[in-house]
Amino acid sequence: MKTIKALELAVAGWFVAASTIAWSQPGEAASAPASAQGASEMAASGPVAPAGRKADRALRRKVYAAIGKYKEISAGDISVIVKDGAVTLNGTVTEAAQIGNVEAITRRVSGVMSVTNKLTVKKPFGGM
Amino acid sequence: MKFKSSSLAVLMVISAAAHAQSSVTLYGVLDSGLLYQSTSAATFLPTARNLGHVYQLKDGGIYASYWGMKGSEDIGGGYKITFKLQGSFNTTNGKFGLSDTPGTTALFNQYATVGATGPFGTFDAGRQIIPMIYAMAETDVRGAQYFGSILTAWLGVNQAAGWPGTSTNAPIGALYDSNALVYTSPKFYGTTLALEYAPGGVAGQFQGGTRESAVLKYSNYGLNLSAVYYNGHDTNPFPLTYPTAPATPATGLDNNRFYYFGAMYTISGFSVSASYALGKNPAKSSTVDFEMASGGLGYQFNPSFKITSGYYYLKDRNNSANHSSEFAVGAEYNLSLRTKAYAQVGYVNNKGTMNQTIIYGAPVAPGVSTTAAMVGIRHSF
Repeated sequence: MKTIKALELAVAGWFVAASTIAWSQPGEAASAPASAQGASEMAASGPVAPAGRKADRALRRKVYAAIGKYKEISAGDISVIVKDGAVTLNGTVTEAAQIGNVEAITRRVSGVMSVTNKLTVKKPFGGM
Repeated sequence: MKFKSSSLAVLMVISAAAHAQSSVTLYGVLDSGLLYQSTSAATFLPTARNLGHVYQLKDGGIYASYWGMKGSEDIGGGYKITFKLQGSFNTTNGKFGLSDTPGTTALFNQYATVGATGPFGTFDAGRQIIPMIYAMAETDVRGAQYFGSILTAWLGVNQAAGWPGTSTNAPIGALYDSNALVYTSPKFYGTTLALEYAPGGVAGQFQGGTRESAVLKYSNYGLNLSAVYYNGHDTNPFPLTYPTAPATPATGLDNNRFYYFGAMYTISGFSVSASYALGKNPAKSSTVDFEMASGGLGYQFNPSFKITSGYYYLKDRNNSANHSSEFAVGAEYNLSLRTKAYAQVGYVNNKGTMNQTIIYGAPVAPGVSTTAAMVGIRHSF
Protein backbone atom coordinates (compact mmCIF):
# COMPACT_ATOMS: atom_id res chain seq x y z
CA MET A 1 0.00 0.00 0.00
CA LYS A 2 2.78 2.37 1.02
CA THR A 3 4.80 1.58 -2.08
CA ILE A 4 1.74 2.24 -4.26
CA LYS A 5 1.27 5.63 -2.61
CA ALA A 6 4.93 6.44 -3.11
CA LEU A 7 4.68 5.39 -6.72
CA GLU A 8 1.58 7.53 -7.21
CA LEU A 9 3.39 10.50 -5.70
CA ALA A 10 6.39 9.91 -7.93
CA VAL A 11 4.16 9.72 -11.00
CA ALA A 12 2.29 12.87 -9.94
CA GLY A 13 5.58 14.64 -9.36
CA TRP A 14 6.84 13.59 -12.74
CA PHE A 15 3.72 15.00 -14.39
CA VAL A 16 4.10 18.31 -12.56
CA ALA A 17 7.75 18.51 -13.55
CA ALA A 18 6.96 17.56 -17.13
CA SER A 19 4.18 20.11 -17.41
CA THR A 20 6.22 22.99 -16.00
CA ILE A 21 9.05 22.22 -18.36
CA ALA A 22 6.61 21.94 -21.24
CA TRP A 23 5.01 25.28 -20.38
CA SER A 24 8.35 27.03 -20.25
CA GLN A 25 8.86 26.19 -23.94
CA PRO A 26 6.77 28.84 -25.72
CA GLY A 27 8.57 31.69 -23.97
CA GLU A 28 11.90 30.09 -24.65
CA ALA A 29 11.01 29.66 -28.31
CA ALA A 30 9.99 33.31 -28.53
CA SER A 31 13.30 34.46 -27.08
CA ALA A 32 15.31 32.25 -29.42
CA PRO A 33 15.96 34.92 -32.09
CA ALA A 34 17.31 37.29 -29.42
CA SER A 35 19.62 34.67 -28.01
CA ALA A 36 21.08 34.10 -31.46
CA GLN A 37 22.82 37.46 -30.99
CA GLY A 38 24.01 36.68 -27.50
CA ALA A 39 24.55 33.01 -26.72
CA SER A 40 25.23 33.76 -23.07
CA GLU A 41 21.62 34.88 -22.57
CA MET A 42 20.29 31.50 -23.62
CA ALA A 43 22.63 29.63 -21.29
CA ALA A 44 21.51 31.80 -18.40
CA SER A 45 17.81 31.27 -19.08
CA GLY A 46 17.88 27.47 -19.03
CA PRO A 47 19.93 25.81 -16.33
CA VAL A 48 17.09 23.32 -15.42
CA ALA A 49 17.54 20.66 -18.11
CA PRO A 50 20.50 19.78 -20.30
CA ALA A 51 20.51 22.00 -23.38
CA GLY A 52 20.15 18.94 -25.66
CA ARG A 53 16.91 17.73 -24.13
CA LYS A 54 15.52 21.25 -24.01
CA ALA A 55 16.32 21.79 -27.64
CA ASP A 56 14.73 18.44 -28.49
CA ARG A 57 11.51 19.41 -26.75
CA ALA A 58 11.42 22.75 -28.53
CA LEU A 59 12.04 21.00 -31.84
CA ARG A 60 9.24 18.51 -31.08
CA ARG A 61 6.82 21.42 -30.62
CA LYS A 62 8.02 23.02 -33.85
CA VAL A 63 7.45 19.77 -35.77
CA TYR A 64 3.92 19.42 -34.36
CA ALA A 65 3.17 23.06 -35.18
CA ALA A 66 4.35 22.48 -38.76
CA ILE A 67 2.27 19.29 -39.21
CA GLY A 68 -0.73 20.96 -37.55
CA LYS A 69 -0.83 23.58 -40.30
CA TYR A 70 -2.09 20.94 -42.75
CA LYS A 71 -5.76 20.56 -41.99
CA GLU A 72 -6.15 17.18 -43.73
CA ILE A 73 -3.58 15.61 -41.38
CA SER A 74 -4.57 14.76 -37.80
CA ALA A 75 -1.48 15.56 -35.75
CA GLY A 76 -3.30 14.05 -32.77
CA ASP A 77 -2.74 10.60 -34.27
CA ILE A 78 0.99 11.15 -34.76
CA SER A 79 3.78 10.67 -32.23
CA VAL A 80 6.88 12.83 -32.67
CA ILE A 81 9.95 11.81 -30.68
CA VAL A 82 13.13 13.89 -30.95
CA LYS A 83 16.56 12.85 -29.79
CA ASP A 84 19.52 15.12 -30.55
CA GLY A 85 17.67 16.50 -33.57
CA ALA A 86 16.82 13.02 -34.92
CA VAL A 87 13.04 12.73 -35.32
CA THR A 88 11.05 9.48 -35.12
CA LEU A 89 7.47 9.56 -36.41
CA ASN A 90 4.96 6.97 -35.16
CA GLY A 91 1.21 6.69 -35.39
CA THR A 92 -1.31 6.84 -38.19
CA VAL A 93 -2.52 8.90 -41.13
CA THR A 94 -5.67 8.36 -43.20
CA GLU A 95 -4.12 8.22 -46.70
CA ALA A 96 -1.01 6.46 -47.98
CA ALA A 97 0.22 9.70 -49.61
CA GLN A 98 0.23 11.44 -46.21
CA ILE A 99 3.01 9.13 -44.94
CA GLY A 100 5.44 10.84 -47.32
CA ASN A 101 3.86 14.27 -46.85
CA VAL A 102 4.30 14.25 -43.08
CA GLU A 103 7.92 13.16 -43.50
CA ALA A 104 8.54 15.98 -46.01
CA ILE A 105 6.90 18.54 -43.69
CA THR A 106 9.08 17.30 -40.84
CA ARG A 107 12.28 17.50 -42.91
CA ARG A 108 11.54 21.14 -43.76
CA VAL A 109 11.52 22.14 -40.07
CA SER A 110 14.85 23.79 -39.31
CA GLY A 111 16.91 21.88 -36.78
CA VAL A 112 15.70 18.43 -37.90
CA MET A 113 18.79 16.31 -38.56
CA SER A 114 17.11 13.08 -39.69
CA VAL A 115 13.66 11.49 -39.85
CA THR A 116 12.76 7.86 -39.08
CA ASN A 117 9.30 7.30 -40.52
CA LYS A 118 7.18 4.57 -38.88
CA LEU A 119 3.79 6.02 -39.86
CA THR A 120 1.06 3.68 -41.06
CA VAL A 121 -2.30 4.14 -42.76
CA LYS A 122 -5.47 3.73 -40.73
CA LYS A 123 -8.68 4.27 -42.69
CA PRO A 124 -11.20 6.29 -40.73
CA PHE A 125 -14.51 4.80 -39.60
CA GLY A 126 -16.80 4.12 -42.56
CA GLY A 127 -14.21 4.49 -45.03
CA MET A 128 -12.41 6.32 -47.68
CA MET B 1 -15.58 -9.03 -82.57
CA LYS B 2 -18.34 -6.60 -83.44
CA PHE B 3 -19.56 -6.82 -79.89
CA LYS B 4 -16.11 -6.09 -78.61
CA SER B 5 -15.71 -2.89 -80.61
CA SER B 6 -19.17 -1.65 -79.64
CA SER B 7 -18.47 -2.26 -75.95
CA LEU B 8 -15.22 -0.43 -76.40
CA ALA B 9 -17.15 2.50 -77.87
CA VAL B 10 -19.48 2.47 -74.86
CA LEU B 11 -16.49 2.46 -72.56
CA MET B 12 -14.99 5.39 -74.41
CA VAL B 13 -18.23 7.37 -74.09
CA ILE B 14 -18.39 6.60 -70.39
CA SER B 15 -14.77 7.54 -69.82
CA ALA B 16 -15.26 10.78 -71.74
CA ALA B 17 -18.24 11.59 -69.54
CA ALA B 18 -16.21 10.72 -66.46
CA HIS B 19 -13.50 13.13 -67.52
CA ALA B 20 -16.01 15.98 -67.53
CA GLN B 21 -16.03 15.58 -63.73
CA SER B 22 -12.90 16.69 -61.90
CA SER B 23 -12.69 13.25 -60.35
CA VAL B 24 -14.83 10.21 -59.61
CA THR B 25 -13.56 7.30 -57.58
CA LEU B 26 -15.14 3.88 -57.35
CA TYR B 27 -14.04 2.09 -54.21
CA GLY B 28 -14.98 -0.57 -51.73
CA VAL B 29 -13.96 -3.08 -49.09
CA LEU B 30 -14.74 -6.73 -48.48
CA ASP B 31 -14.27 -7.99 -44.96
CA SER B 32 -15.00 -11.58 -44.06
CA GLY B 33 -13.93 -14.06 -41.43
CA LEU B 34 -14.71 -17.07 -39.30
CA LEU B 35 -16.39 -16.40 -35.98
CA TYR B 36 -16.86 -18.59 -32.94
CA GLN B 37 -19.14 -17.34 -30.19
CA SER B 38 -20.02 -19.23 -27.00
CA THR B 39 -23.62 -17.96 -26.71
CA SER B 40 -26.10 -16.53 -29.16
CA ALA B 41 -29.63 -15.18 -29.33
CA ALA B 42 -32.19 -14.53 -32.04
CA THR B 43 -33.11 -11.02 -30.87
CA PHE B 44 -31.94 -8.17 -28.62
CA LEU B 45 -34.89 -8.67 -26.24
CA PRO B 46 -33.78 -8.84 -22.58
CA THR B 47 -35.70 -12.13 -22.35
CA ALA B 48 -34.06 -13.72 -25.41
CA ARG B 49 -33.17 -17.39 -24.98
CA ASN B 50 -29.57 -18.59 -25.16
CA LEU B 51 -29.41 -20.57 -28.40
CA GLY B 52 -25.93 -21.92 -27.60
CA HIS B 53 -22.56 -21.59 -29.28
CA VAL B 54 -22.20 -20.78 -32.93
CA TYR B 55 -19.58 -21.06 -35.70
CA GLN B 56 -20.22 -18.91 -38.70
CA LEU B 57 -18.80 -17.08 -41.67
CA LYS B 58 -19.13 -13.49 -40.52
CA ASP B 59 -19.10 -10.24 -42.42
CA GLY B 60 -17.29 -7.18 -41.08
CA GLY B 61 -14.64 -8.14 -38.52
CA ILE B 62 -12.96 -4.71 -38.65
CA TYR B 63 -15.65 -2.52 -40.28
CA ALA B 64 -18.55 -3.19 -42.62
CA SER B 65 -18.02 -4.37 -46.17
CA TYR B 66 -19.11 -1.60 -48.49
CA TRP B 67 -18.76 -0.09 -51.91
CA GLY B 68 -19.22 3.42 -53.10
CA MET B 69 -18.52 6.25 -55.45
CA LYS B 70 -17.28 9.68 -54.62
CA GLY B 71 -16.30 12.68 -56.63
CA SER B 72 -15.60 16.34 -56.58
CA GLU B 73 -15.80 19.20 -59.01
CA ASP B 74 -13.63 22.27 -58.64
CA ILE B 75 -15.80 25.34 -59.20
CA GLY B 76 -12.98 27.83 -58.64
CA GLY B 77 -12.14 30.27 -55.89
CA GLY B 78 -11.15 27.45 -53.56
CA TYR B 79 -14.62 25.90 -53.64
CA LYS B 80 -15.47 22.33 -54.55
CA ILE B 81 -18.76 20.53 -54.96
CA THR B 82 -18.57 16.97 -53.67
CA PHE B 83 -20.74 13.88 -53.63
CA LYS B 84 -20.57 10.51 -51.98
CA LEU B 85 -22.67 7.39 -52.43
CA GLN B 86 -21.78 4.45 -50.22
CA GLY B 87 -23.63 1.34 -49.14
CA SER B 88 -22.73 -1.55 -46.90
CA PHE B 89 -23.42 -5.15 -47.80
CA ASN B 90 -22.98 -8.52 -46.21
CA THR B 91 -20.19 -10.57 -47.81
CA THR B 92 -21.65 -13.86 -46.56
CA ASN B 93 -24.96 -13.51 -48.45
CA GLY B 94 -24.64 -10.41 -50.65
CA LYS B 95 -27.51 -8.56 -48.98
CA PHE B 96 -27.56 -4.78 -48.52
CA GLY B 97 -27.27 -3.19 -45.09
CA LEU B 98 -29.92 -1.68 -42.81
CA SER B 99 -31.78 1.51 -43.64
CA ASP B 100 -33.84 3.86 -41.45
CA THR B 101 -36.97 1.69 -41.83
CA PRO B 102 -37.31 -1.85 -40.41
CA GLY B 103 -37.61 -4.57 -43.03
CA THR B 104 -36.17 -2.36 -45.78
CA THR B 105 -32.59 -2.25 -46.97
CA ALA B 106 -31.03 0.63 -48.87
CA LEU B 107 -28.59 0.65 -51.77
CA PHE B 108 -26.68 3.59 -50.26
CA ASN B 109 -27.39 3.12 -46.57
CA GLN B 110 -24.12 4.71 -45.36
CA TYR B 111 -23.79 7.86 -47.48
CA ALA B 112 -25.96 9.62 -50.03
CA THR B 113 -24.64 13.15 -49.78
CA VAL B 114 -24.01 16.17 -51.91
CA GLY B 115 -22.00 18.98 -50.41
CA ALA B 116 -19.45 21.72 -50.75
CA THR B 117 -16.02 22.44 -49.32
CA GLY B 118 -14.24 25.76 -49.24
CA PRO B 119 -12.55 28.26 -46.96
CA PHE B 120 -15.72 28.27 -44.80
CA GLY B 121 -15.34 24.57 -44.04
CA THR B 122 -17.37 21.61 -45.27
CA PHE B 123 -21.10 21.16 -45.72
CA ASP B 124 -22.84 17.88 -46.57
CA ALA B 125 -26.53 17.19 -47.02
CA GLY B 126 -28.16 13.78 -47.04
CA ARG B 127 -27.96 10.47 -45.27
CA GLN B 128 -24.55 10.01 -43.70
CA ILE B 129 -22.42 8.64 -40.89
CA ILE B 130 -22.66 11.51 -38.44
CA PRO B 131 -19.77 13.36 -36.69
CA MET B 132 -20.46 11.80 -33.27
CA ILE B 133 -19.27 8.39 -34.50
CA TYR B 134 -15.99 9.80 -35.84
CA ALA B 135 -15.47 11.62 -32.53
CA MET B 136 -15.86 8.29 -30.71
CA ALA B 137 -13.68 6.35 -33.18
CA GLU B 138 -10.85 8.89 -32.86
CA THR B 139 -10.76 8.52 -29.07
CA ASP B 140 -10.86 4.71 -28.96
CA VAL B 141 -7.69 2.65 -29.46
CA ARG B 142 -9.94 -0.02 -31.03
CA GLY B 143 -11.17 2.65 -33.43
CA ALA B 144 -14.91 1.87 -33.08
CA GLN B 145 -14.31 -1.33 -35.01
CA TYR B 146 -17.09 -3.89 -35.36
CA PHE B 147 -15.48 -6.32 -32.90
CA GLY B 148 -15.22 -5.23 -29.24
CA SER B 149 -14.95 -1.45 -29.36
CA ILE B 150 -16.64 1.80 -28.39
CA LEU B 151 -19.10 1.03 -31.21
CA THR B 152 -20.28 -2.29 -29.77
CA ALA B 153 -20.38 -0.68 -26.30
CA TRP B 154 -22.54 2.19 -27.57
CA LEU B 155 -24.75 -0.32 -29.39
CA GLY B 156 -25.00 -2.22 -26.09
CA VAL B 157 -26.44 0.94 -24.51
CA ASN B 158 -28.93 1.13 -27.38
CA GLN B 159 -29.93 -2.52 -27.00
CA ALA B 160 -30.53 -1.89 -23.31
CA ALA B 161 -32.64 1.15 -24.30
CA GLY B 162 -34.83 -1.03 -26.52
CA TRP B 163 -33.19 -0.93 -29.97
CA PRO B 164 -34.35 -4.06 -31.82
CA GLY B 165 -31.51 -3.91 -34.35
CA THR B 166 -33.87 -3.98 -37.33
CA SER B 167 -33.21 -0.42 -38.52
CA THR B 168 -30.51 2.21 -38.05
CA ASN B 169 -32.75 4.36 -35.80
CA ALA B 170 -30.97 4.14 -32.48
CA PRO B 171 -32.71 5.28 -29.27
CA ILE B 172 -29.47 6.78 -27.90
CA GLY B 173 -27.36 8.84 -30.29
CA ALA B 174 -27.01 7.68 -33.87
CA LEU B 175 -24.52 6.12 -36.26
CA TYR B 176 -26.39 7.21 -39.40
CA ASP B 177 -28.91 10.01 -39.79
CA SER B 178 -31.16 10.49 -42.78
CA ASN B 179 -32.05 14.05 -43.87
CA ALA B 180 -28.91 15.33 -42.14
CA LEU B 181 -27.30 18.71 -42.77
CA VAL B 182 -23.76 18.65 -41.41
CA TYR B 183 -21.38 21.59 -41.23
CA THR B 184 -17.73 21.07 -40.26
CA SER B 185 -15.55 24.09 -39.50
CA PRO B 186 -12.01 24.50 -40.79
CA LYS B 187 -9.30 23.40 -38.38
CA PHE B 188 -8.21 26.18 -36.05
CA TYR B 189 -5.09 25.31 -34.02
CA GLY B 190 -6.10 21.65 -34.17
CA THR B 191 -9.70 22.36 -33.17
CA THR B 192 -12.78 21.64 -35.29
CA LEU B 193 -16.47 22.06 -34.62
CA ALA B 194 -19.13 19.99 -36.38
CA LEU B 195 -22.81 20.88 -36.22
CA GLU B 196 -25.65 18.69 -37.43
CA TYR B 197 -29.30 19.45 -37.97
CA ALA B 198 -31.75 17.01 -39.55
CA PRO B 199 -35.19 18.42 -40.28
CA GLY B 200 -37.86 15.81 -39.63
CA GLY B 201 -40.03 16.71 -42.59
CA VAL B 202 -43.14 15.95 -40.53
CA ALA B 203 -46.16 17.94 -41.71
CA GLY B 204 -47.63 20.23 -39.08
CA GLN B 205 -44.98 19.33 -36.53
CA PHE B 206 -41.82 21.44 -36.71
CA GLN B 207 -39.87 19.48 -34.06
CA GLY B 208 -41.17 16.11 -35.24
CA GLY B 209 -38.39 13.68 -36.12
CA THR B 210 -35.62 16.28 -35.90
CA ARG B 211 -32.03 15.58 -34.81
CA GLU B 212 -29.37 17.99 -33.71
CA SER B 213 -25.82 17.38 -32.60
CA ALA B 214 -22.60 19.24 -31.89
CA VAL B 215 -19.11 17.75 -31.84
CA LEU B 216 -16.00 19.56 -30.69
CA LYS B 217 -12.66 17.93 -31.48
CA TYR B 218 -9.01 18.72 -30.87
CA SER B 219 -6.18 16.93 -32.64
CA ASN B 220 -2.51 17.85 -32.27
CA TYR B 221 0.64 17.02 -30.26
CA GLY B 222 -0.29 13.32 -30.39
CA LEU B 223 -3.54 14.02 -28.54
CA ASN B 224 -7.13 13.61 -29.73
CA LEU B 225 -9.94 15.05 -27.61
CA SER B 226 -13.65 14.74 -28.40
CA ALA B 227 -16.82 16.11 -26.86
CA VAL B 228 -20.24 15.12 -28.21
CA TYR B 229 -23.77 16.34 -27.65
CA TYR B 230 -26.63 14.62 -29.48
CA ASN B 231 -30.35 15.21 -29.19
CA GLY B 232 -33.14 13.55 -31.15
CA HIS B 233 -36.90 13.91 -31.35
CA ASP B 234 -39.15 10.93 -32.10
CA THR B 235 -36.21 8.60 -32.68
CA ASN B 236 -36.88 4.93 -33.31
CA PRO B 237 -40.66 5.27 -33.77
CA PHE B 238 -41.06 1.67 -34.98
CA PRO B 239 -42.52 -0.95 -32.61
CA LEU B 240 -40.98 -4.44 -32.55
CA THR B 241 -43.90 -5.79 -34.58
CA TYR B 242 -43.60 -3.18 -37.37
CA PRO B 243 -45.00 -3.18 -40.08
CA THR B 244 -47.97 -5.12 -38.55
CA ALA B 245 -48.25 -2.40 -35.90
CA PRO B 246 -47.78 1.13 -37.29
CA ALA B 247 -44.97 3.52 -36.37
CA THR B 248 -45.62 5.96 -33.53
CA PRO B 249 -46.67 9.32 -35.00
CA ALA B 250 -44.06 12.05 -34.62
CA THR B 251 -45.09 14.63 -32.03
CA GLY B 252 -41.77 16.34 -31.45
CA LEU B 253 -41.10 14.24 -28.34
CA ASP B 254 -37.54 14.80 -27.11
CA ASN B 255 -36.54 11.18 -26.49
CA ASN B 256 -32.86 10.71 -27.31
CA ARG B 257 -29.93 12.41 -25.61
CA PHE B 258 -26.28 11.43 -25.57
CA TYR B 259 -23.12 13.02 -24.14
CA TYR B 260 -19.63 11.69 -24.77
CA PHE B 261 -16.14 12.78 -23.75
CA GLY B 262 -13.08 10.92 -24.95
CA ALA B 263 -9.30 11.22 -25.25
CA MET B 264 -6.57 9.29 -27.01
CA TYR B 265 -2.82 9.84 -26.78
CA THR B 266 -0.21 8.41 -29.13
CA ILE B 267 3.41 8.28 -28.03
CA SER B 268 6.08 6.23 -29.77
CA GLY B 269 4.36 2.97 -30.76
CA PHE B 270 1.82 3.19 -27.93
CA SER B 271 -1.75 4.52 -27.95
CA VAL B 272 -3.91 4.95 -24.86
CA SER B 273 -7.54 6.02 -24.75
CA ALA B 274 -10.31 6.67 -22.25
CA SER B 275 -13.89 7.87 -22.49
CA TYR B 276 -17.03 8.50 -20.50
CA ALA B 277 -20.59 8.87 -21.80
CA LEU B 278 -24.16 9.30 -20.64
CA GLY B 279 -27.21 8.37 -22.66
CA LYS B 280 -30.83 8.73 -21.77
CA ASN B 281 -34.37 9.25 -22.95
CA PRO B 282 -35.30 12.66 -21.47
CA ALA B 283 -39.00 11.77 -21.78
CA LYS B 284 -38.52 8.47 -19.89
CA SER B 285 -35.35 8.89 -17.86
CA SER B 286 -36.71 6.64 -15.10
CA THR B 287 -36.40 3.67 -17.46
CA VAL B 288 -33.76 4.68 -20.01
CA ASP B 289 -30.66 6.19 -18.38
CA PHE B 290 -27.25 4.64 -19.01
CA GLU B 291 -23.57 5.21 -18.40
CA MET B 292 -20.70 4.03 -20.57
CA ALA B 293 -16.96 4.11 -19.83
CA SER B 294 -13.98 2.80 -21.77
CA GLY B 295 -10.24 2.38 -21.68
CA GLY B 296 -7.88 1.27 -24.43
CA LEU B 297 -4.25 0.36 -25.00
CA GLY B 298 -2.49 -0.47 -28.25
CA TYR B 299 0.98 -1.02 -29.61
CA GLN B 300 2.29 -0.78 -33.15
CA PHE B 301 5.18 -3.24 -33.39
CA ASN B 302 6.17 -2.27 -36.93
CA PRO B 303 4.44 -0.60 -39.86
CA SER B 304 2.55 -3.80 -40.72
CA PHE B 305 1.70 -5.27 -37.32
CA LYS B 306 -0.26 -3.91 -34.39
CA ILE B 307 -2.19 -5.12 -31.36
CA THR B 308 -5.07 -3.13 -29.88
CA SER B 309 -7.13 -3.78 -26.79
CA GLY B 310 -10.05 -2.16 -25.06
CA TYR B 311 -12.24 -2.41 -21.98
CA TYR B 312 -15.88 -1.26 -22.08
CA TYR B 313 -18.24 -0.88 -19.15
CA LEU B 314 -21.99 -0.21 -19.28
CA LYS B 315 -24.29 0.54 -16.38
CA ASP B 316 -28.03 1.01 -16.00
CA ARG B 317 -28.39 4.07 -13.74
CA ASN B 318 -31.92 3.04 -12.75
CA ASN B 319 -31.13 -0.57 -11.88
CA SER B 320 -27.65 -1.44 -10.63
CA ALA B 321 -28.28 -5.15 -11.34
CA ASN B 322 -27.92 -4.38 -15.05
CA HIS B 323 -24.31 -3.85 -16.00
CA SER B 324 -21.83 -5.20 -18.50
CA SER B 325 -18.04 -5.44 -18.85
CA GLU B 326 -16.30 -6.28 -22.06
CA PHE B 327 -12.67 -6.87 -22.93
CA ALA B 328 -11.41 -7.28 -26.45
CA VAL B 329 -7.97 -7.69 -28.00
CA GLY B 330 -7.10 -7.84 -31.67
CA ALA B 331 -4.04 -8.24 -33.87
CA GLU B 332 -3.87 -6.81 -37.38
CA TYR B 333 -1.26 -7.69 -39.94
CA ASN B 334 -1.00 -5.82 -43.24
CA LEU B 335 -0.29 -8.32 -46.01
CA SER B 336 -0.11 -5.44 -48.48
CA LEU B 337 -1.26 -1.84 -48.80
CA ARG B 338 -4.79 -2.99 -49.57
CA THR B 339 -5.17 -6.24 -47.64
CA LYS B 340 -4.92 -7.06 -43.97
CA ALA B 341 -5.39 -10.23 -41.97
CA TYR B 342 -6.69 -10.10 -38.43
CA ALA B 343 -7.35 -12.24 -35.38
CA GLN B 344 -9.33 -11.04 -32.38
CA VAL B 345 -10.73 -12.37 -29.13
CA GLY B 346 -13.40 -10.85 -26.91
CA TYR B 347 -15.04 -11.60 -23.59
CA VAL B 348 -18.17 -9.96 -22.23
CA ASN B 349 -19.76 -10.40 -18.81
CA ASN B 350 -23.39 -9.30 -19.07
CA LYS B 351 -25.46 -8.99 -15.88
CA GLY B 352 -29.19 -8.60 -15.48
CA THR B 353 -30.85 -7.69 -18.75
CA MET B 354 -27.67 -6.45 -20.45
CA ASN B 355 -26.69 -7.99 -23.78
CA GLN B 356 -23.64 -6.02 -24.97
CA THR B 357 -22.39 -7.86 -28.05
CA ILE B 358 -18.80 -8.70 -28.87
CA ILE B 359 -19.23 -8.18 -32.60
CA TYR B 360 -21.80 -6.13 -34.48
CA GLY B 361 -24.50 -8.34 -35.99
CA ALA B 362 -24.13 -11.37 -33.70
CA PRO B 363 -26.48 -11.05 -30.67
CA VAL B 364 -25.34 -12.71 -27.44
CA ALA B 365 -27.57 -14.25 -24.73
CA PRO B 366 -28.51 -11.60 -22.12
CA GLY B 367 -27.34 -11.80 -18.51
CA VAL B 368 -24.54 -14.33 -19.02
CA SER B 369 -20.91 -14.17 -20.06
CA THR B 370 -19.87 -14.83 -23.64
CA THR B 371 -16.55 -15.41 -25.38
CA ALA B 372 -15.91 -14.88 -29.06
CA ALA B 373 -12.97 -15.31 -31.40
CA MET B 374 -12.58 -14.36 -35.02
CA VAL B 375 -10.00 -14.62 -37.77
CA GLY B 376 -10.52 -12.88 -41.07
CA ILE B 377 -9.31 -10.81 -43.94
CA ARG B 378 -10.11 -7.29 -45.08
CA HIS B 379 -9.43 -6.33 -48.69
CA SER B 380 -10.02 -2.92 -50.19
CA PHE B 381 -10.21 -1.93 -53.84
